[in-house]
Amino acid sequence: MDDWKPSPLIKPFGARKKRSWYLTWKYKLTNQRALRRFCQTGAVLFLLVTVIVNIKLILDTRRAISEANEDPEPEQDYDEALGRLEPPRRRGSGPRRVLDVEVYSSRSKVYVAVDGTTVLEDEAREQGRGIHVIVLNQATGHVMAKRVFDTYSPHEDEAMVLFLNMVAPGRVLICTVKDEGSFHLKDTAKALLRSLGSQAGPALGWRDTWAFVGRKGGPVLGEKHSKSPALSSWGDPVLLKTDVPLSSAEEAECHWADTELNRRRRRFCSKVEGYGSVCSCKDPTPIEFSPDPLPDNKVLNVPVAVIAGNRPNYLYRMLRSLLSAQGVSPQMITVFIDGYYEEPMDVVALFGLRGIQHTPISIKNARVSQHYKASLTATFNLFPEAKFAVVLEEDLDIAVDFFSFLSQSIHLLEEDDSLYCISAWNDQGYEHTAEDPALLYRVETMPGLGWVLRRSLYKEELEPKWPTPEKLWDWDMWMRMPEQRRGRECIIPDISRSYHFGIVGLNMNGYFHEAYFKKHKLNTVPGVQLRNVDSLKKEAYEVEIHRLLSEAEVLDHSKNPCEDSFLPDTEGHIYVAFIRMEKDDDFTTWTQLAKCLHIWDLDVRGNHRGLWRLFRKKNHFLVVGVPASPYSVKKPTSVTPIFLEPPPKEEGAPGAAEQT
Amino acid sequence: MSRINKNVVLALLILTSSAFLLFQLYYYKHYLSAKNAAGLSKSKGSRIGFDSIQWRAVKKFIMLTSKQNVPVFLIDPLMLELIDKNFEQVKNTSYGSTSECKFFCVPRDFTTFALQYHLRKNEEGWFRIAENMGFQCIKIESKDPRLDGIDSLSGTEIPLHYICKLATHAIHLVVFHERSGNYLWHGHLRLKEHLDRKFVPFRKLRFGRYPGAFDRPELQQVTVDGLEVLIPKDPVHFVEEIPHSRFIECRYKEARAFFQQYLDDNTVEAMAFRKSAKELLQLAAKTLNKLGVPFWMSSGTCLGWYRQCNIIPYSKDVDLGIFIQDYKSDIILAFQDAGLPLKHKFGKVEDSLELSFQGKDDVKLDIFFFYEEADHMWNGGTQAKTGKKFKYLFPKFTLCWTEFVDMKIHVPCETLEYIEANYGKTWKIPVKTWDWKRSPPNVQPNGIWPISEWDEVIQLY
Repeated sequence: MDDWKPSPLIKPFGARKKRSWYLTWKYKLTNQRALRRFCQTGAVLFLLVTVIVNIKLILDTRRAISEANEDPEPEQDYDEALGRLEPPRRRGSGPRRVLDVEVYSSRSKVYVAVDGTTVLEDEAREQGRGIHVIVLNQATGHVMAKRVFDTYSPHEDEAMVLFLNMVAPGRVLICTVKDEGSFHLKDTAKALLRSLGSQAGPALGWRDTWAFVGRKGGPVLGEKHSKSPALSSWGDPVLLKTDVPLSSAEEAECHWADTELNRRRRRFCSKVEGYGSVCSCKDPTPIEFSPDPLPDNKVLNVPVAVIAGNRPNYLYRMLRSLLSAQGVSPQMITVFIDGYYEEPMDVVALFGLRGIQHTPISIKNARVSQHYKASLTATFNLFPEAKFAVVLEEDLDIAVDFFSFLSQSIHLLEEDDSLYCISAWNDQGYEHTAEDPALLYRVETMPGLGWVLRRSLYKEELEPKWPTPEKLWDWDMWMRMPEQRRGRECIIPDISRSYHFGIVGLNMNGYFHEAYFKKHKLNTVPGVQLRNVDSLKKEAYEVEIHRLLSEAEVLDHSKNPCEDSFLPDTEGHIYVAFIRMEKDDDFTTWTQLAKCLHIWDLDVRGNHRGLWRLFRKKNHFLVVGVPASPYSVKKPTSVTPIFLEPPPKEEGAPGAAEQT
Repeated sequence: MSRINKNVVLALLILTSSAFLLFQLYYYKHYLSAKNAAGLSKSKGSRIGFDSIQWRAVKKFIMLTSKQNVPVFLIDPLMLELIDKNFEQVKNTSYGSTSECKFFCVPRDFTTFALQYHLRKNEEGWFRIAENMGFQCIKIESKDPRLDGIDSLSGTEIPLHYICKLATHAIHLVVFHERSGNYLWHGHLRLKEHLDRKFVPFRKLRFGRYPGAFDRPELQQVTVDGLEVLIPKDPVHFVEEIPHSRFIECRYKEARAFFQQYLDDNTVEAMAFRKSAKELLQLAAKTLNKLGVPFWMSSGTCLGWYRQCNIIPYSKDVDLGIFIQDYKSDIILAFQDAGLPLKHKFGKVEDSLELSFQGKDDVKLDIFFFYEEADHMWNGGTQAKTGKKFKYLFPKFTLCWTEFVDMKIHVPCETLEYIEANYGKTWKIPVKTWDWKRSPPNVQPNGIWPISEWDEVIQLY
């Protein structure tokens, strides 16, 4: 068996050996097949896992996205709110891509209608003469600016050139003439009109009518013109009807970096025109200024009320200078707009400030007065902890050290009950009469134009008695009345910390501005250290005045005070002159003297107990009214006070004018 | 050859698909951890509980506000109570040394903070940053009530509430505005129509159901769960104020309508009376507040506030109400010290107590004490000559804050019911002759004081 045993083994062994390749092969084959199958199932499984993971990923991503979508929801609402402010924008991006514009020009009436909506209509008599200009947004048709340039009068064409140059390229320009627009339309302006593509504009003649629609820097879209046949008659009325194709919103906007500031800028620039480089696509003017903070700023938490009407360009200029002043805190600023005007509100929003609109009450001066009252009440309500408020107007430039000036002097209002206000404005501070940026005065008149009001004064005295709407009083005139002022005085600087640039206003015109405001001095030196502030307190000031009068050289009273030689050509001296002033309210000689010194002479300003202080030829010049002033005792007996005769009364002499 | 090819193809396929899978897994994890902070946080070792979503949300919020200079402080009643109970512990742990998250990790839906609006530096910068940090935020705005009293002003809306949600936890930021009278005011959380009502469980919010008024709290800095936060110096007092903080605004619109109909009295006398009445009211409020006695404007003073947002010039006195359980015997002394001598005292603590003090310029301060019954409140009156007693009935009321003559002061919340009880349905029409024994519709005769008691219950000075 043993023998046999191996034999079958051998045999198969041999056979096996023979078949072994086949078997191995077969085995290998099956093995490989298994491997392959294994691989295949593996791959399938793999695929399945991938698919599952993928599906899960998709689901999760979708959920995450829907979650993420939830969060900008309020932002979308915000955008909607913006959209609501600007309805034509949405409409403009709709299917309708053409505006139909109607422009009418005639002697007594002009109107402009865009898509049937009248955007300008002026048929008032003796008003609105000249060239009316309207700027439309080329993408939305929204009216961005509306101006009238009375180019019958001098210099108005310069303003028009300035304005048209500021309009961004691509905007739709509409011009129409009412009554007369050519008399003072000079060559520069005509050249500009020519560059806009206008045929008739550059050739505009006396009493011609003219209507023009064109794109700034682009094609003319329509123009009509009618020549006046004779000097005494007007051209025929012209009505221009034309289609204005709208362009896409992207073309109309600049590509500023997406920041909070630029968002404000974009919103502003898509709505209004005529603010110059603030809307330039390249290097626009900054709208945030971050001036240096003031060390130890005592007025950091004093609210600032800016009283404004509908003069948005003024407001823009004013806010720029205010926000550039050292030590300003923007969150303390509130702009009060008298009326529901949109553009001033846009300006306020551009600078990211708080704006409050006020429904107009009453008319003229009383309206201004009611606006002041509401604004002051609101300011003290909004800042219940504030002891003071700074009151500014929209037509003021603010000196760079405005807040520094207040910070150094505000403690006086707290410590001295005989003070009524601190004002940044010196009524007599003209280029030729103000010298010393570190010098302060006490005056009996309330200058306004940038001043600090004490809460207790307003809440306890002024607010309860404020003139009611039916009284057509000026608020500042009312505040200057003895019943209100009650012998208290204001602190003012020698060189004003504000500058009144407004030419258009309720009580203001170009002539008046030129005569009384243009040459006013504004301090431009930053960080001026005020001198001896505590000497402005009631008793200390008297000591100071007596010192000055003792040091002063008495001028030669035989000379004519209106002559330049009245004061010697020296520097840094103190001079005194004595004028006749019979009673406390006798200002006859002072008014004449003020007139020939070319300072404010419309009413009495800047006096302190019959004493005026100003500078002449870099010398401190004191004027004492004798015998009404207590300082008359300083008059040497040999000196006869100067008396100037008032000119004979003329008809229609200017009354007490006022600054608004 | 083809077989090998097939294998190679297979291997390549597997390789690429596994690479792809790995990438997906990596991306998936990365995406999730970035988007959804919950659940995937890193282990904090021994620091227990610091991975809770509440703590994380609060931490993020505090980081944001301190970086952006947003002046906030913690007003969450739950948190303040917890902190107050464990104050020693809070005081003794400095930043970072906390090993267990005890306060901010307590499960809850909200953490409430207050924003001191008048101290903010930049307007809204933090709001956008919060959104970028993963918070979902909503803002509730409304018009400024401080402008309501002034004719026809309309301003930019002011923010009243912010709610910022991080995953499941929300930060409720209540905006506190300064008001005249040295107090802080917050607005009503009114949801606009398009707002998602399920954004957070609004009903569970502790602030915003009504407008509220709070004493301006002094603040202190504490480190809670490793986070530096500001809390009121007296957290208990603050928490106690919350249930009674409801504020009602004067009805300025109606007051304007009233003055259009009946023209304001601007004579010198009227102005002088208003001035002295205002000063008397302010002095009385100061005195009672110092004693800690709650009081409210009653009768004519309340009517003046409700009808015309001003003092009625011909009312000749100032009327206050006090619940009899708040009576303190040193009230009389305190008023005397404040320069207001007692003019008369009627009734006694158990029945119909009424005090009158003499103010400057002949203006009188009347204090009526109110007694509570099951279904009504009443105060008493006494006729000095006859010893007759009267009773004035009022429906039950609670107290709310309002602002009057530059002060935070109480009035009955149910003002209309209160005034109608006292003056009838025609309270809108000014009446200059008023007999306190007969005119009020809520007066009832209440017998006569026994003569033996007259010395006590009728004291005239």
